Amino acid sequence: MKIIDYRLETYLEEMDRPLGDSNGPEGDDLISSSILFIDTDEGISGVAPLGNNKVENLFKVIENKDPRETFSHWQNMIRYTFKAGDEGEVHNALSAIDIALWDIKAKINDEPLWKTLGSDDPKCKIYASDIGYCLSDEELFKFFEKMSDNGVDSGKVKIGLSFEDDMRRIGIVYEALAKNFKRPRIMIDSNEYWSVKKAIQTINKIEEKYDIFWAEEPARRWDYRGLKLVSQNIKAAVATGENLNNVGDFYPLIDNQSVDILNVSSYQSGITGLRQIGNFAYAYELPVTTMNCIGNYNAQIATSIPNHLMMEVVDPGREKAYSKWNNNIDDGFVHLDNTPGIGLVVDENKLKEMQNTDYGREPKMPWFRREGAGLYIKDLENKEVKWK
Amino acid sequence: MKIIELKTTLFEFELDRVMGDANSPRGRTKSASCLVELITDEGLIGLSIGGGNSIPQIQSLFEGIIKGNDPKSVYSLWKKMVEKFFKGGHDGIANDAISVLDVALWDLKSKINNEPLWKTLGASKKDVNVYASDIALPMGDKEIGDWYKKMAKNYGFKAAKLKVGLDQDADLKRLEIMNEAISQNTNNPILYVDSNEYWSPKQTIRKVSEMEERFSLGWIEEPARRWDFLGLKKISEALKTPVCAGENLDTLGDFLPYFHHRAADVIQVSQGMTGITGALQIADAAYGLELPVTLGGSTGIIHAHLANAIPNCITVEVPHPEPETKVYEWDVKIENGYAKLGDKPGLGITINYEELSKAKVKQISSRSGPSPYGRRQGAGLYEVPASEDEIKEASSK
Repeated sequence: MKIIDYRLETYLEEMDRPLGDSNGPEGDDLISSSILFIDTDEGISGVAPLGNNKVENLFKVIENKDPRETFSHWQNMIRYTFKAGDEGEVHNALSAIDIALWDIKAKINDEPLWKTLGSDDPKCKIYASDIGYCLSDEELFKFFEKMSDNGVDSGKVKIGLSFEDDMRRIGIVYEALAKNFKRPRIMIDSNEYWSVKKAIQTINKIEEKYDIFWAEEPARRWDYRGLKLVSQNIKAAVATGENLNNVGDFYPLIDNQSVDILNVSSYQSGITGLRQIGNFAYAYELPVTTMNCIGNYNAQIATSIPNHLMMEVVDPGREKAYSKWNNNIDDGFVHLDNTPGIGLVVDENKLKEMQNTDYGREPKMPWFRREGAGLYIKDLENKEVKWK
Repeated sequence: MKIIELKTTLFEFELDRVMGDANSPRGRTKSASCLVELITDEGLIGLSIGGGNSIPQIQSLFEGIIKGNDPKSVYSLWKKMVEKFFKGGHDGIANDAISVLDVALWDLKSKINNEPLWKTLGASKKDVNVYASDIALPMGDKEIGDWYKKMAKNYGFKAAKLKVGLDQDADLKRLEIMNEAISQNTNNPILYVDSNEYWSPKQTIRKVSEMEERFSLGWIEEPARRWDFLGLKKISEALKTPVCAGENLDTLGDFLPYFHHRAADVIQVSQGMTGITGALQIADAAYGLELPVTLGGSTGIIHAHLANAIPNCITVEVPHPEPETKVYEWDVKIENGYAKLGDKPGLGITINYEELSKAKVKQISSRSGPSPYGRRQGAGLYEVPASEDEIKEASSK
């Protein structure tokens, strides 16, 4: 079997609710997405819910090759991008290709990816994550209440710009999850907005009232000293890594024992890269937690990562381009079925429909880094969020 | 598909040379092993060779964890096996048992896909760097020279490893012999030396420094006890030669001190570290720290399948470029100093059951294991060269 072609489809999608964090508190419900298809000469196509125009360059590396040789293709792409590095825009394309190739590999065996990866337990523990700094208090409560009713016992809330409001919202999340759980796990996420000392001061104050499971991105992604300092000065675990690109980026964090939990995803040089980082962390007794993603396909990979904690689920309704995805959430787990590959089936008609829709506006995401980040808190302006 | 049956068959065979290391200058001429077979309800057989000393553990893992399950679930079965030994630890004999079963499961998984293991692991069919390894300290100088000349001539090896440790002058002379033999293929032969934990760190530093005056070495292997990360680090800091270690470690966790303290420059990885599943984990962890790995000798040269599926492998050890016994054949050829992978499904090992029944034994005899005499007197303290008796015994074999 040979890889013969690819197709990259980009589209805008109106989600069911807006997303926002400390860098973009106003939020937005319009996102720009893409789907990469990789075609073989035997009719099997691989799908990845990401990708950009850098795929064109990288495709040369895999063209006419056997799609089952996923590792070698990954390695050749890494080698191909040696001089400029495989970070930045290239890593999106590289990750997309790697994911689509794993999708093909599993489809050739007519089995779901969790089985290709050797698991016999097709489920993945999840936590709820609002990514909804823009949501009203009522909306925030409802989101976590619904998750709690689905058996989810852990929740992560976006904070960072207003201590009193952040405390109130942590309380809302706690209360919503506590509907079904005696001691729900609470995680907080400030998205690299604070300075190191601001993080220590703020988290300590939060910890006077709440038991926090982890604090995410309390310093810049590369600041291994700052992250370590935060970890030494708070009770909660420090989690970070989502904005890193590959296993090499994790080296300083792991080697300096800077963090307690690693945020990993197949956006870190694909499924191949994610598994490497998982094993690297495993050697250091560090747990990993997979990030949210379109279609929840990271859950497929998590089933064979021995040190996997739980996967982030945001569920903002951004899977309209798919007639099938990994959306069976029950008892606090994503339950995977036997759909071959990564569990996504594209609805080409829906995709075309969205591509032909004029939304009359451009998506605001990804957010600029907010003014004051790492320096001072730029207070929320009046009406910048619904709750202020 | 379900695994329904386990078969274990012990067998022995004569070696083509007298093998041994610094711990066994008497040498041995017999080898023993165990064929472990997992049989599915569809008649497919997953096999693995090893684990002769852990048959009760293999049987218990089979009954408790493997039996009745889908062989595709290699990872989950690996995890259950590892977790079963939680309290006592999954090293030692437990690790032997887990390792052989994990390898047999991977063999099955690849065979179900009707593809060779290297392809299941996502590798492409490309040549694998290998080196010749005598593992024959008891062999005479002439025989060593002849053996490496044959390795160079027939298989094109450009890299070789010598067992050293008991007699520095003899070791220097034999290094020269090996260097000369292997130089017929290249102006830049790669020479490795291996003292099998016989030396203390300072002994290693003295002896290898002296070797370094005449040779540029690819690595010094196991130059201190396996757990002595401080000693290994000290050696690495004192020598120009890379320190290669880890062969006798069992699990990923065992490597944490090496990783954290940068005790070794080259990490030894093998299927004997909780199987192929464990070996890949260790290689990834080393990769994260920019540490290269090397894979040791393996029946069927199955490590060549792994080498192309891990990002940081230097080379694979080959003590036997062709099968040592008629009991099995394998699908990896050594040519021009590389291992050429074949296309047979799974590990590529085929069993000759007629030969197996001839070689079959009830119990492994005491002198057929890899280290039949235990750790040698003087180890870690001072060298005790081979006695006249030992030399005589070795040369008579």
